[in-house]
Amino acid sequence: MELLQVRNISKVYRTSRSAAEFRALNNISFSVREGEFVGVMGASGSGKTTLLNIIGGIDKPTTGKCVIAGQDITVLDKSRLAQFRIKNIGFIFQDFNLLETMTLKENILLPLALNGYSAAEMERRLNQLSADLGIGRVLAKYPYEVSGGEQQRAAACRALITNPKIILADEPTGNLDSNSGKALLDLLSMINKKYSAAILMVTHDVFAASYCHRIMFIRDGEIYNELYAGESRKHFFDAIIDVVGVLGGEAYEPGFPGCAKH
Amino acid sequence: MNLAFLAVRNIKRSFSKYMMYFFTLSFSVFTVHSFLALVFNEQVMEKLTYSRRYQSMLVAFGVVIFVFVSFFLISSNVNFIKARKKEIAMYSLFGMTNAKIGRLLFTETLIIGTAALVAGICSGVFCSKLTAMILLNFTLAYFVGDIPFVVAPQAVWFTAVPFAFVFMLMGTAGRRVIAKFELVELFKGSKLPEANIRGSALHLIVSFALIGTGYYWAAIKEPAKLLLLAVPILLVVIAGTFLLFWGGLPQVFRWLRKNPHRYFSGENMIALSIFTHRIRSIGSVMAAIAVMSAVGVTAIATGYTLYGSMEVSTYDQLSYDLFFYGGRDVRDEVHDVFTKYGVGILGEYTVNRYQVKAVQIDPQQTVERVFRIYSESDYNRLIEVSRKIYQPIEVKPGQGLQAGRDIAAYAEIDEPYNDGRQSKLVLSDLELAVVTRADMANVHFGAYQMLVVSDEDFDHLVQTGTFASVDAFGEPLDEVTVIKYENPLRAHQLNSELNQILDARSSGYVMAYNYYVEAMEVFGLVCFIGSFMSVVFILMTASLLYFKQITAAEEERHLYQILRRIGLDPKAESRVIAKRLLPVFFAPLLVGIVHGIFAMKSADTMVFRHMLDVDNTFMVVMRFSAVMYSIYALVYSAFYLITKRQYTSTVR
Ligand SMILES: Nc1ncnc2c1ncn2[C@@H]1O[C@H](COP(=O)(O)OP(=O)(O)OP(=O)(O)O)[C@@H](O)[C@H]1O
Ligand SMILES: [Mg+2]
Repeated sequence: MELLQVRNISKVYRTSRSAAEFRALNNISFSVREGEFVGVMGASGSGKTTLLNIIGGIDKPTTGKCVIAGQDITVLDKSRLAQFRIKNIGFIFQDFNLLETMTLKENILLPLALNGYSAAEMERRLNQLSADLGIGRVLAKYPYEVSGGEQQRAAACRALITNPKIILADEPTGNLDSNSGKALLDLLSMINKKYSAAILMVTHDVFAASYCHRIMFIRDGEIYNELYAGESRKHFFDAIIDVVGVLGGEAYEPGFPGCAKH
Repeated sequence: MNLAFLAVRNIKRSFSKYMMYFFTLSFSVFTVHSFLALVFNEQVMEKLTYSRRYQSMLVAFGVVIFVFVSFFLISSNVNFIKARKKEIAMYSLFGMTNAKIGRLLFTETLIIGTAALVAGICSGVFCSKLTAMILLNFTLAYFVGDIPFVVAPQAVWFTAVPFAFVFMLMGTAGRRVIAKFELVELFKGSKLPEANIRGSALHLIVSFALIGTGYYWAAIKEPAKLLLLAVPILLVVIAGTFLLFWGGLPQVFRWLRKNPHRYFSGENMIALSIFTHRIRSIGSVMAAIAVMSAVGVTAIATGYTLYGSMEVSTYDQLSYDLFFYGGRDVRDEVHDVFTKYGVGILGEYTVNRYQVKAVQIDPQQTVERVFRIYSESDYNRLIEVSRKIYQPIEVKPGQGLQAGRDIAAYAEIDEPYNDGRQSKLVLSDLELAVVTRADMANVHFGAYQMLVVSDEDFDHLVQTGTFASVDAFGEPLDEVTVIKYENPLRAHQLNSELNQILDARSSGYVMAYNYYVEAMEVFGLVCFIGSFMSVVFILMTASLLYFKQITAAEEERHLYQILRRIGLDPKAESRVIAKRLLPVFFAPLLVGIVHGIFAMKSADTMVFRHMLDVDNTFMVVMRFSAVMYSIYALVYSAFYLITKRQYTSTVR
């Protein structure tokens, strides 16, 4: 079943001074099935973040529809959208986006608290998730007291706590070293399987992309190419590198065993 | 692109931010100018009789206000610059040197400062007539006149020059503030600069103990003890309050955060966590406001209560509307004045100011004393005319009722006649047993000791010619006349003519009206200055909080960005902002009110219980302070709303 349907979305930025307009997204259409792990790649400025923000309801498209779980989110007003977002969408950002005034536990529980869940229910969900994500020990600490990897896991935990149908991750490994990055990717895969949540992940990192079931490449606001993971992870990895090379994106960074250089 | 152009463009672009800054500056100018305009207003000074004394008092307060205002301005300015950290970092990044940025800030301050100076002085001049009228109505018992509109050039100069100096200082202060900014730190950007304060239970307990001790002392019923404790009370309450805001409140928040049911309403969670984070930078200001508002409100409520009960206290000091020394001719002239103005005399009595030397024999000592002496019926007739109510007395032959300024202390209140003093008086051929009484009227009329004897003894003494006819300085002793008349404190023309006549003709006189007028002037002036100061204080503290919160908004903006991303809807966001800002404005007010209630209790014990003739003096005082706190609450609410708007637009 299709969870997310993006239909003919365009985004035009118009700076107030000059009449010149800029098309960040140009008539994009695609869909994501339940439980699918999709990567989005493309050169800098190709419109990846813009796309993710529109899907997440943070930004509005200029034209087009975006349907999540049967609901077109482009027609919702601000507060209904906020409600919808809290229930259905989990966000993970490159710079974690944890509130530094709160402990990790408070950060994680925040979406539930905003939705008026009971304290007992919150505790129940937190206990289960934090065990899965391995941050049970540091829950009482503040973000600046824990490592970047732990912060990102806490952010993932926050994204997951509402049992969202889809998780949007914008370069989640971008600020992590290779070990933490790999740990997070393993975690996302696990979440993807165990909670059957769809994941849409923007990344520049070929190694990170190789975790996905499918990769969409974006160029100049349009879908340029799509790749599906096959039997062999290595094969998939090589195929991604080929496309990235054509697109002129950044080189992969963490070394994949046996594939150090392009 | 020159600096002036850039400065003007900046001001245009973020107009609302500069508006508040401009308003603050011009209000400060307005305040100081209004004050000086009073000091230099000829009419005002003419109307106040003892002009020198009042003028120096006003000047002193003017200096206090100016210092206070400057302090406040400089700290607002620093906050204002901090709120613009990002923008300044931008200039720096584009290659502007610190010196150049400093000049830019200086130019801006100068532009706004000049505008504020003009606006403040103009509105000050415009309102000067009003402030002068208010002052005169406060201080003069009798003022229905009109004062012409005048511009006092000295007031303008004395405002403009120091403020120009302060603005220059502020302009250069910007340079020092930005020198402390680290470029890197500025671009790291979205992290709050302060660590979370956790407070401790110990803080909370100690602060409660300190404040509680202060309250306990403040509620003590004996005025003498209370007076001794006044300074310790102030010290413990101040210490306790600061401790409460520094460590105690964060601890309370911590407990709140541990109680999931209340805290986990999401919005509470966000607001409380951000506020807790802020408390270090704003705790001191909040504590200072709490303490100062309590002190200020108590002082002003005290002043007003006394001011409002001036008539009662006038007659507490003086028993008579009017008494004067002099013979028949003076009396006739006085009567003529009463007839002329058609003021009815309600009671009058004239008595000889007889004086007598007597030897007082106590078990311990024998001394010779001089007494003012009355017969029993003379004394009783005298007290009938008094405004204060005294009990008539009865003196048996062979007794002498002695009242002196030192005797009153001995006398027992419960026991009106005291025969146990074993003291005798010998005057010519009479020997009198001394009795004393606590509730004797003060009708000494110039003497130190007073003696009342029975009518028979008095007649006997008159016949034997015992009384002196001249006083210790050889002046002839004449008669004294006491008069009670209609509307004694309001009959202005009558009183001023009486003053003229008695000044010229009487060897001594006291008029309640004169005392009342002078007391009104002093208290009225004190009340006026007090109110003025408190208005300044309320507005300045409120806008200081405003600037601090605007700086905070700049730093907290990214938090709201994150929150919006995880699904905080706009309505919930504005509730979060309300919860975040409410305690900043109203926690100090709340603590101030509680402090104020106890301070009022002390003021009641020390001052009002004796001065006011009402049953529940505490409630009277509380009513005055309730009005004051309502004004406080009103102004703070207004500032809260302004702050909320600005904060919201900053974080959106
Ligand atoms: N608010 C905006 N106003 C105008 N143009 C914008 C705005 N936001 C993004 N753009 C433009 O839209 C284009 C796409 O931006 P977007 O952030 O989606 O790129 P991206 O693919 O995420 O790049 P990166 O990999 O560097 O994060 C960019 O060229 C950018 O300049
Ligand atoms: Mg991006």
